Amino acid sequence: MTPKQFADYFADFAFDLHPFDVQDPDVFLSTRTGDCIDYAVMADYVLTKDGYDTHLVRIEMIGKNMGHAVCYVTESRAYLDYNNRRYFFKLVRSGRRLREIATLVASSFDANWTFASEFTYNYNDSMKRVVMTVVKTDPPDTDPDVHGATAPHARPGS
Amino acid sequence: MRRVLAFFAVVIAVSVAIAIVSVRNINRAVAGSDWVNHTHSVILETEGLRADLFIGDGAAHAFVLTGEPKDRSASVNALSNAAEHVDYIAALTRNEPAQKDGVTRLASLVDRRSDFIRRLLSSRQSNDSNAVHALLVQDSGETVLNDIQHSIEKLKNDELTLLTQRDTAAFIQAQTTRWTVWAGVILDFTLLAGAGLLIRDDIAARKRATDALQTLNYELEDKVKVRTAELAAANDQLKIENIERKWANLGLQHQLHYNQLMINSINDLVLLLTRAANITRVNAAVTRSTGWEPHELADRPFSSFATLTYDGPAPLIDPVTQAMNDGREIRDQHAVVIDKRGQKVAARMTLFPLRDGDKVVGSVIIIQAPGNGTPGGAAVATQT
Repeated sequence: MTPKQFADYFADFAFDLHPFDVQDPDVFLSTRTGDCIDYAVMADYVLTKDGYDTHLVRIEMIGKNMGHAVCYVTESRAYLDYNNRRYFFKLVRSGRRLREIATLVASSFDANWTFASEFTYNYNDSMKRVVMTVVKTDPPDTDPDVHGATAPHARPGS
Repeated sequence: MRRVLAFFAVVIAVSVAIAIVSVRNINRAVAGSDWVNHTHSVILETEGLRADLFIGDGAAHAFVLTGEPKDRSASVNALSNAAEHVDYIAALTRNEPAQKDGVTRLASLVDRRSDFIRRLLSSRQSNDSNAVHALLVQDSGETVLNDIQHSIEKLKNDELTLLTQRDTAAFIQAQTTRWTVWAGVILDFTLLAGAGLLIRDDIAARKRATDALQTLNYELEDKVKVRTAELAAANDQLKIENIERKWANLGLQHQLHYNQLMINSINDLVLLLTRAANITRVNAAVTRSTGWEPHELADRPFSSFATLTYDGPAPLIDPVTQAMNDGREIRDQHAVVIDKRGQKVAARMTLFPLRDGDKVVGSVIIIQAPGNGTPGGAAVATQT
């Protein structure tokens, strides 16, 4: 399954916010209702199994319930965003760095971002683990991903 | 004009400077806003940590009492979220040395509490009531949660202090931007007003110059009219003079024509000599009597055409030249004319000096030859 095919499957899913908790995948698929992190974690899980290099990214914007999660697909040089599931262009092209992804995502909300994290999620123990965090006010050349390298991390569902 | 251009150049320079300063201040304001947002984020994360930690703690105690899996799940999720909050707080404050020690201590306390809760959950999961009891007894005298509360409060207070400082900086920045823009706008308007005054003066000066030019043009037109009238009068005068000169020329030509007729009507040979005794003009009788055409005789010495004859020896000086030198006439002297065939014909010659004022400039020779049908022969004239 390609990222585009994956996104097409969710085109008619509804949105329901669960404040940064990941739903059980069976519930998500059966109710066809979820939020950004359900979709991003699912994409990370499915596309990794199909051989894609994926990264879960959380972007924090100021205000209530302004955290957002997307799944970056290295091969597509783009990220999958639940908010774009109904659009023709479901993948948003972006650079690999968290700062670039955060800027694009925050722009789509007409908001400023404060920090962005790459994290992993494991369906078995329902644990989110932070891999690295980029803070907007830090000098960009001190970002953890400044050299493009990503710290190795455990795959969700593994 | 240069001053106006200079004013506009200054206005443009001020506008560009205002734009640069404003954009720079906006960027600083955005950076300040980012810092304010950053501080809010730290505060939100600390509040989130506090909430998740207490939720995790409470759910763990509920699980001890009820054994409900959902309580255990809620506790595990809350602990996961708390750990996440600690990571975010550490990341957000990693470039704030003043916060570093507090965050490290807070992370250590959260780890300790999370570890305790996990051990409690694990013991209750395995129904080890003794271990659960021991853990709860051990926890009764613990102050970790209070320490965490204090650490969070301190961190939050520090961040609120920073927030105040950053908000003050943002406010001052906004004030600076406001003052910069207004000052620039006022300066620009002042400069534009100055430029307007200069333009007004320039227009007035140009109007004066135009009026002066107009006056000069009128004066010039008047002068041109006068000069044109003068030229027209001069032209009329010239026309009259031309007509008069034409009439005079016609008269002269007429006179010349009659003079020529008069000379040519004489059957004697008439020659005009220069002061050097060369032939310049001859009448028609010369050609008829001698066969010489006028152009053949022109510039020839008179002595090659005719000479005086003497009974005795010829004088050393040519008598014709001598007579002109002396300014005297020679009357009716014997002479010999050489015609075109080279034959010598006897004739009688008379010389009249040709005078211009009191100066002899040539002579008129009249030669009478027996063969030209007229008693007395031919006439010859000389001239310089």
